[in-house]
Amino acid sequence: MIYFDSAATTMQKPREVSRAVSEAIDHMASIGRGDSKASQSAADLLFNCRQAAADLFGVPSPEQVVFTFNATHGLNIAIKSLVKSGHSVLISGYEHNAVSRPLASIPGVQVRILNTPLFQPEVFLEQMRNELEQGVDVVICNHVSNVFGYILPVEEVASLCYDRGIPFLLDASQSAGTLPIHLERMHAAFVAMPGHKGLYGPQGTGLLLCGEVGEPLLYGGTGSLSFQRDMPDFLPDRLEAGTHNVAGIAGLLQGMAFVRKKGQANILRHEQSLKQMAAKGLRELPGVEVFSSPDPKVQSGVLSFRIRGHDCEEVGAYLSRHQVAIRSGFHCAPLAHQSAGTAETGTVRLSFSAFNTQQQVTRFLQILRGFYLS
Amino acid sequence: MLHYLIMCRSLTYAQRIVQSLERVGIRAWLIRSPVSVSPSGCSYSVKITQKDLSHALMILNHFQLPYLGIYIGSPEEGYREVDL
Repeated sequence: MIYFDSAATTMQKPREVSRAVSEAIDHMASIGRGDSKASQSAADLLFNCRQAAADLFGVPSPEQVVFTFNATHGLNIAIKSLVKSGHSVLISGYEHNAVSRPLASIPGVQVRILNTPLFQPEVFLEQMRNELEQGVDVVICNHVSNVFGYILPVEEVASLCYDRGIPFLLDASQSAGTLPIHLERMHAAFVAMPGHKGLYGPQGTGLLLCGEVGEPLLYGGTGSLSFQRDMPDFLPDRLEAGTHNVAGIAGLLQGMAFVRKKGQANILRHEQSLKQMAAKGLRELPGVEVFSSPDPKVQSGVLSFRIRGHDCEEVGAYLSRHQVAIRSGFHCAPLAHQSAGTAETGTVRLSFSAFNTQQQVTRFLQILRGFYLS
Repeated sequence: MLHYLIMCRSLTYAQRIVQSLERVGIRAWLIRSPVSVSPSGCSYSVKITQKDLSHALMILNHFQLPYLGIYIGSPEEGYREVDL
């Protein structure tokens, strides 16, 4: 199978990931619940993973790294912590439902959407500045669009927010592991990311980097302050109730080690070169509209396209029958399709990882040529 | 044998303290706090020898590592808080 759906999850992982998961299942217990060697091993593992994430993402202290089940979980914690009834929240026009749905669940929140065209960060920033002048309580922004790979100018957004004292939440679902993220320098309130995409960990893992303490989404045992009815007021315990996904975190630690060894910039360059190759090949096919920019500063290794006169689900089903895994439709991001003008049709998305090759792109293009004959 | 316990508010803080102390050559052990010194329920402490206390405190202050209190004692004789 050719797997080009890494924006959903990187299915191909470094071998060390599954080994670490297996080792943890066989030899590790719950942390903070006992004094056994198996419990201590798990505690050491979690601390090492927090430390590794803190080093990779410019987090001042390891306790500011909170384990979540995925990016959606982290975004929900962050949104419920920052956004209250009556608030005005500014979001990009490229947000995922993991942002728009939690916002819609809080009554009395005014959500303002920055509808700006693809691959034009200057236009985005200009509109952002204008909107901030109107008064905003919280800003939430995608680092990279999961549909189009559009890299939003989040460092500038973070700086605008910091200058105005506005809390900033970054959704790094598509950027963690390829683009630089530095919590302290960005002065972000929170950064949410999955463990199972660009960090090459298993599904069921995620990280929430905390510039603030935040409000719990789950309540329960933490292995600390047992006689207190309220959740502890310190991190990470405040936001981590219940038993951790120790096996998943063991895999995540190995995934992050792989990213560190390979180098985030190298992985990004590799994915972008495959994206460029695919875009060039797609443009040569009849009726194909490709959403691609030649500028590596504005697009990561994610690419959308559509074929005039053909439903994107039809293209997706054809590719699936020929053992090419891609994703077609709306990608849980209707706002992104509205911003890019593809809300009527959806798109077919290709998303690459460190494990994809040029030969796979060549083969994919050969297979897609057959679509016109089918 | 008498030793000191640096009582911490969470496992992660205790782990940070152990890491910082071991980096400067101080032997430190992470333990669950004895119930007698932990009235709010479960917590973790870092155990160090008597001779290392002043150096350890210097490190804690230097790196601004928070702790809840310092206790002296042993499992046999019990623990009492040290007024620093």
